Amino acid sequence: MNQTNRPDRSDRRDESNQDPASTRTPVKSYRLLWISLAVLGFSLVALRTAAAQGEGASPEAARDLWTTLGIWCAAFMTLGIFSFLYKDNPFYKVCESILIGVSAAYWMVNGFWSTLVPNLFGKLAPGFVQSVAMPDLPTPDSPTLEMSLAFVPLILGFMLLWRLAPKGGWIAVWPVAFIIGTTAGMRLVASIEADLMSQAAATMKPLVMFSDSVDEAGNAVRAFDFWATMGSIVGVVGVLSVLTYFFFSVEHKGVVGKTARLGIWFLMITFGSAFGLTVMGRVTLLSQRFEFLFQDWLGIR
Amino acid sequence: MTTPQRGSSNPGLLERLGSLDRRWIFLSMGLSIALPILLQLRFPEVPGPMARATFDAIEAVPEGSRVLISFDYDPASAAELQPMANAMVHHCASKGHRIVFMALWPLGKQMADQTIDQVLLNFHPDLEYGTDYVQLGYQAGNEGVVKLMATNIPEQYKTDTSGTKLADLPLVGDLRNTSDFKLVASLSAGNPGAKEWVQYADSADKEAFTLVSGSTGVQVSQLLPYYPAQLEGMLVAVKGAAEYEMLVEEKYPVSKDAERIGQGRVRMGPQLVAHMLMIGLIVLGNLAMISGRARGGAQ
Repeated sequence: MNQTNRPDRSDRRDESNQDPASTRTPVKSYRLLWISLAVLGFSLVALRTAAAQGEGASPEAARDLWTTLGIWCAAFMTLGIFSFLYKDNPFYKVCESILIGVSAAYWMVNGFWSTLVPNLFGKLAPGFVQSVAMPDLPTPDSPTLEMSLAFVPLILGFMLLWRLAPKGGWIAVWPVAFIIGTTAGMRLVASIEADLMSQAAATMKPLVMFSDSVDEAGNAVRAFDFWATMGSIVGVVGVLSVLTYFFFSVEHKGVVGKTARLGIWFLMITFGSAFGLTVMGRVTLLSQRFEFLFQDWLGIR
Repeated sequence: MTTPQRGSSNPGLLERLGSLDRRWIFLSMGLSIALPILLQLRFPEVPGPMARATFDAIEAVPEGSRVLISFDYDPASAAELQPMANAMVHHCASKGHRIVFMALWPLGKQMADQTIDQVLLNFHPDLEYGTDYVQLGYQAGNEGVVKLMATNIPEQYKTDTSGTKLADLPLVGDLRNTSDFKLVASLSAGNPGAKEWVQYADSADKEAFTLVSGSTGVQVSQLLPYYPAQLEGMLVAVKGAAEYEMLVEEKYPVSKDAERIGQGRVRMGPQLVAHMLMIGLIVLGNLAMISGRARGGAQ
């Protein structure tokens, strides 16, 4: 009986882990709202307290206080995100929502201050921007010309936003066409030079390789380099077989089929190594989080 | 993993592994990373050809040369790239190169500031801003920044991060374009990054400067075709960082805060144990599948 039932339970358990999005614990929206507000309120009170204490304290002490607060927030967020590995929960949802909200807000503010203010407003009204927002903004060499040119992106920007208007959505197509055209034009030349010509040239090298060295007597010695030769051969065979796999004008039978099959092996090995490198990257991220928790948060060294 | 065969009278250990709750795997993975950190496990690294090529490329540049280090990453990728940044900045400063810092990612500027504070000024306190190093900071524009720098740096960067005009800084006062650098290094986590430096700067003038990169594991497969013809040196993820750290520390040892030039090697301990665990799990998973199939076939 138990033997029969066990797989069913494991199946259910597996299903619950297979697709977390489809089986998330239902958390009522108002409860989530209260939790978010509580976290936000706690953070604000903590920040206010830290600021108040910081005003009367020495700069080093104030910095330590802020650092401590930051470390506790980061530890809270890290554990919150990790908690999803056990199962979906409100703690995780709060951390996830804060992460998404902060990221979106950050990119919006960054776009405004690093692009719009210096590159658009700073050229349309440099004196105003320098006095109000960015004192370090360089003064334009030829203000009239730069202001005139800045009207082009300003108008294109307005045209792009016209998509939100109830009528005349086609107006937004023109700046999109401009963006696509300039990007394609800029990238085309770079890709042909760096990715096509240079890569083709790098493939066209001798199959048999020699290495040059100097012996003890100071004479130049040229010797057969086995591994470099193997590398050249594997490179050429790999390129030709993978190109054959992607050549669909001829049916993949006989010699062509076998070459294409070899090409699949090269592709699989490439994907495997890429996956391995990705795993290495993810393990590094996890180890850095653990280092943070153990060393910066708990002080274990 | 496979599910056990229904109706089997006595499933073996391997078959029971097939229905193992994946949270046990999460836990074991967590332990495999946590324990080496707590026990401070370190394993010897043997520098590979790519790390050695990067080291040799920086060594080959004459002392006192102007080099550009572009911080094309943010804190999300710092686990892999910050060890490279620390070692590379220490290497360049020890060799006597004059370093220009810049960033293609918004938070790259902060990463460069942190490196200047914790490594450059920590290990080389006698260096002077404006003469020995300059921080140009971040400029919006992605690959457009690289493209313009390849032709006209003063047009792209009118001032440094403190608002000082480039003309007033001896190190960068006469900069025209990227050809005025002897070496360019991109610490890259994606787009824009090392690929854009190859496409827009290296392609503009192949012979003018040496281009090296350090990149995250995810991006390496995109950049490998450029090595060694277009990228003369390449640090591959945290493994490359650890190997490069060894080479740098061997030639330019530090007397204090040695962990700043050893973060990559510290993170290779958890890498080894986690990879051993993964290989073991893959083998066990396959054995469980084969065992399940055999049992199913027998019945």
